[in-house]
Amino acid sequence: MAPAATKPPAPINCKLLLIGNSSVGKSSLLLRFSDEQWLPEDESSATIGVDFRVHKMEVKGKKVKLSIWDTAGQERFRTITSSYYRGAQGIILVYDVSNRDSFDALPRWYSELETYVSDKVVKILVGNKVDKEFSRQVPTSEAQDFAKRMNSLFVEASAKTSVGVKEAFTEVVEQIMDIPELWDSAPGVGAGAGKSSSGQMPGGNVNLNEENNEEGGGGCSC
Amino acid sequence: MASDLPYAADAEVSLSYDELEVLRLQYQKELAQGYVTVQTKFNYAWGLIKAPLRAHQVEGVRLLQELYRAEPTRRRECLYYLALGHYKMGNFEEAKKFNALLMEKEPTNMQAISLAQLIDKGVTREGYIGMALVGGAAAIGTLLVAGLIRRATRK
Repeated sequence: MAPAATKPPAPINCKLLLIGNSSVGKSSLLLRFSDEQWLPEDESSATIGVDFRVHKMEVKGKKVKLSIWDTAGQERFRTITSSYYRGAQGIILVYDVSNRDSFDALPRWYSELETYVSDKVVKILVGNKVDKEFSRQVPTSEAQDFAKRMNSLFVEASAKTSVGVKEAFTEVVEQIMDIPELWDSAPGVGAGAGKSSSGQMPGGNVNLNEENNEEGGGGCSC
Repeated sequence: MASDLPYAADAEVSLSYDELEVLRLQYQKELAQGYVTVQTKFNYAWGLIKAPLRAHQVEGVRLLQELYRAEPTRRRECLYYLALGHYKMGNFEEAKKFNALLMEKEPTNMQAISLAQLIDKGVTREGYIGMALVGGAAAIGTLLVAGLIRRATRK
């Protein structure tokens, strides 16, 4: 770790990004994780652009300051939310186990990740809404296989009952802690570093990250 | 389990010059072709609102106002970013007005609630600065008067 041993080490900054189709429960997972709350469907509203929260936790004896970016899943925000990928060390991809479309859309989200973040970035696939077991449309085993193929961690969760929520966030952070180059101050390893592939972004109309590789994506600067 | 309040990220984080340039070029290309899509206009306005320059913010607010009138399906996001834009420019009354319109429709919208807190904080801060200015002026006035009196009494 960078700081001298004499003073207590500063917390490690860690940037996580929640992505996935609209209404799969990204904001609900974040609300459950950070505030132990849940809003029923008719009271919750679709995220506008992007929302952001800070959460402190201790993982493997290290103090971690998480900044969690919650992005809008709606197509219309695709272009603008892509600008938030920069500097992310962990990506939480969310689908709804009772909505097949949200699972089938995952390859598109992964191809977006390929465009914007380094392949070292830790990914976790979260199947949300397991409280709706009676209307499940995505079998656990299928999602698990898919996650394995995509080199991602996998967990099923419910923001409503809080099953698996804490695990999802903790597992990502634990794995990030296992890869010091993601957070150990050296610039140029985090998301967005040197990943300035050109061309149109999938589903959007402009690629915001087009000429953006001088940013460095600094591991700890988020 | 420490957690900070929800927070309007778009109020603080701005785009890089290049990112804004991508949005601006797209907008101007379509403008030159005679038809600007809602998405392009919205993206550019969003980039402008986030910018640190006041001139950009003013332009962003102007574009959002046009979108708000022309595009009923985009009203909630326009309201949010109009409030955010006015907040960043220090027009707290306007910011409150637009945010209140959004909260009228979505009373539990956490982003709007969080923005309302930011606006209130801004109003308070401005109040303190105002008081400090008045207080400072009063102090200087006192010194001047004291000086005059001293000079007058010395003679």
